[in-house]
Amino acid sequence: MNKNSVVLKGNKYGIVVVIAEDAGFEEIKTSIIEKFKESAKFFGRESMAIAFEGKKLSDSQQVELLTIVNEITDLNIVCIMDNDRKREEQFKKTVEAKLEEMNSGVGQFYRGTLRSGQVLESDSSVIILGDVNPGAKIISGGNIVILGSLKGNVYAGANGDETSFVVALEMNPVQIRIGDTIARCSDKPKKTQKPETKIAYVDGGSIYIDPLNKEVIGELNL
Amino acid sequence: MSEVIVITSGKGGVGKTTTSANVGTGLAKLDKKVVLIDTDIGLRNLDVVMGLENRIVYNLVDVVEGNCRPKQAMIKDKRYNNLYLLPSAQTRDKTSVTPEQMVALVDELREEFDYIILDCPAGIEQGFKNAIAGADRALVVTTPEVSAIRDADRIIGLLEANSMKKVDLIVNRIRMDMVKKGDMMSIEDVVDILAINLIGAVPDDENIVISTNQGEPLAGNDTLPGQAYMNICKRIMGEDVPMLDLAKNNGFFAKIAGLFKKN
Repeated sequence: MNKNSVVLKGNKYGIVVVIAEDAGFEEIKTSIIEKFKESAKFFGRESMAIAFEGKKLSDSQQVELLTIVNEITDLNIVCIMDNDRKREEQFKKTVEAKLEEMNSGVGQFYRGTLRSGQVLESDSSVIILGDVNPGAKIISGGNIVILGSLKGNVYAGANGDETSFVVALEMNPVQIRIGDTIARCSDKPKKTQKPETKIAYVDGGSIYIDPLNKEVIGELNL
Repeated sequence: MSEVIVITSGKGGVGKTTTSANVGTGLAKLDKKVVLIDTDIGLRNLDVVMGLENRIVYNLVDVVEGNCRPKQAMIKDKRYNNLYLLPSAQTRDKTSVTPEQMVALVDELREEFDYIILDCPAGIEQGFKNAIAGADRALVVTTPEVSAIRDADRIIGLLEANSMKKVDLIVNRIRMDMVKKGDMMSIEDVVDILAINLIGAVPDDENIVISTNQGEPLAGNDTLPGQAYMNICKRIMGEDVPMLDLAKNNGFFAKIAGLFKKN
């Protein structure tokens, strides 16, 4: 029997089982049992994906091998990876699309003041419990809500989504960007005004900043 | 012929950025095409002093890394069409740029501008090395305090070691009333210690604070520091301008007299 009819390769996310093309199925089975027994301790209780490479296996054969792996090791095999490029692309696309869809509805919280030079980047919406100081920057794929005063730079809808909005308890941004539209604060120092919760949104290629009231909230699409 | 000037001091807080902003503005006022480059990566200030912070889209690091062309990153000044600012990055550090890259950038800008002014960060580390790499001449800023002078002396030594062709001195924040009482070193004392050419002295003046906070450099207006900066600019261009008498306009009565004169 060829000792190397099965080789295990691993990375953080999964194990690749490389099978010699000329190996018989029985030989593969014994080889896999042996290899996984040796490395069961090493793998521990990780959750991982598994992929078979080298020899083409039928679905039932893959299931059989998977059962063996499950019996021998404490690994939690989440899925079997496919080596088919086209299908892989397709999966990637659907997964990413799904993730993006999910992200638009979810948000990431951040507590604390973002200070000059700090950048908070997130694919999802962002909620800041604190201030955003001049020189600090938030880049979000979704909306940005600041429960504090906005005195820095914000970039909502970073993937080009112009329906995104920015809300702040006190709205004094240096620069505000939503999708592909940029606005900057005026050069004349503003008269100190009573702080008011405001929303910034894009309408017809311009960014508008309005007081936040029930009417505006009603028009938001989340 | 274009000239690249680095404004440096060693010690922090002596007025490099204020000097950069005012010298840049002054030279622009004298019809020169000027670009100010903020090399203080990670602690950018010049954009704030120039009142251009809200226009920043790209910065020095973007240009050096090739994310954009220098033209795209340069911000045109609010008041002068021939004055530009290349802002520094706030979210990176000094190691994002190498002296070689600075030399290449400065050489590219030479073709278009009469003066390229580099605002140097405090310290003598990488940021300082970046800033002086492409410069033809240096303006060393100091205040009449022993600590600032000590650092200026060190900087002058380093500049000479790096064979800087021309090094001039600016004495900043001088208070004639204190000098008269003997509580502050005089301009002459400072020049004696540092032994380099004095290109100008700027008085300590509340107008500086006001102009910094408003984001509008005061070079060329009728305040005393405004005139002092303008004179420095003229001397940079090679004109022979007599030193301003900083003692005037300083007393209470002089101010009153000044008020009457305006009216």
